[in-house]
Amino acid sequence: MKQKDKLQELLHAWEETYKKGQLTFWIFLSLQQESRYVDEIKQFVEEQSAHTMTCEEQSLYRVLRKFEHVGVLSFENRKGNKGPERKYYFLTPLGKELFQQFVKRNIQLFYNPHIKNLINIPSS
Amino acid sequence: MKLITPFLLRYIIAATFLTVLFRFFLSYFLKVDDSLAVLLVAAGYGLSMFFSGFYFGKKDGTYLPIYDIGFRFHLATFVVHNVVSALWLLSGYASAKESINQLLVSAGIWGVFLLIHFIVYLRLRKHSIDDLDKSDLFE
Repeated sequence: MKQKDKLQELLHAWEETYKKGQLTFWIFLSLQQESRYVDEIKQFVEEQSAHTMTCEEQSLYRVLRKFEHVGVLSFENRKGNKGPERKYYFLTPLGKELFQQFVKRNIQLFYNPHIKNLINIPSS
Repeated sequence: MKLITPFLLRYIIAATFLTVLFRFFLSYFLKVDDSLAVLLVAAGYGLSMFFSGFYFGKKDGTYLPIYDIGFRFHLATFVVHNVVSALWLLSGYASAKESINQLLVSAGIWGVFLLIHFIVYLRLRKHSIDDLDKSDLFE
């Protein structure tokens, strides 16, 4: 296998594992400031992740149901700009606290100057 | 916490319908003394309840993967079967060969297995948050 092909294959394999669990982060991020309905969440996740994350509507609904069941999300039925009533999802106080704690423990460490310096990949 | 999901409700409706059919045909064939038909009705009821539970259980898991190792469906089956059967017997539609005592004995034996299932379910709940598997929750 050529070195370039091997690199791509390794990258895809790593990304596949890395992205598992990332959907939760992006969903929480999308609901951090405002409530959204499924299409808007999907659009936010895909656009803001620069299309590195994609999600099917059905699997998104399934995840939202799970989060709603454990009480980190809730929804209210509202009329959208166009079309019928939609479920607008929002973070509950527990969900907000969970997201803050998660970011503090797992994301903010990447802002540590030493880590930032290590991550700083030279442009080729 | 919502443990009565839409697919569990649909299963309860299907199980109620199947149990009413079962009691009707069982009583009828017992009255006319057709042992083979009684056996076939019992086997048909058992199979149809199994496949109905399997079908709705699978759908239920896709809708919301509640980590209960089938306990809710087992409990629903137990309640529906025994309540419908008791009502059937008490309303006087049953044959002379059926009695409430037989139902109580079978419910007692079944209840022991249901209790074992419940104990196993309670033990496994330690691996869950609000009945959802911890390892699957943020997948």
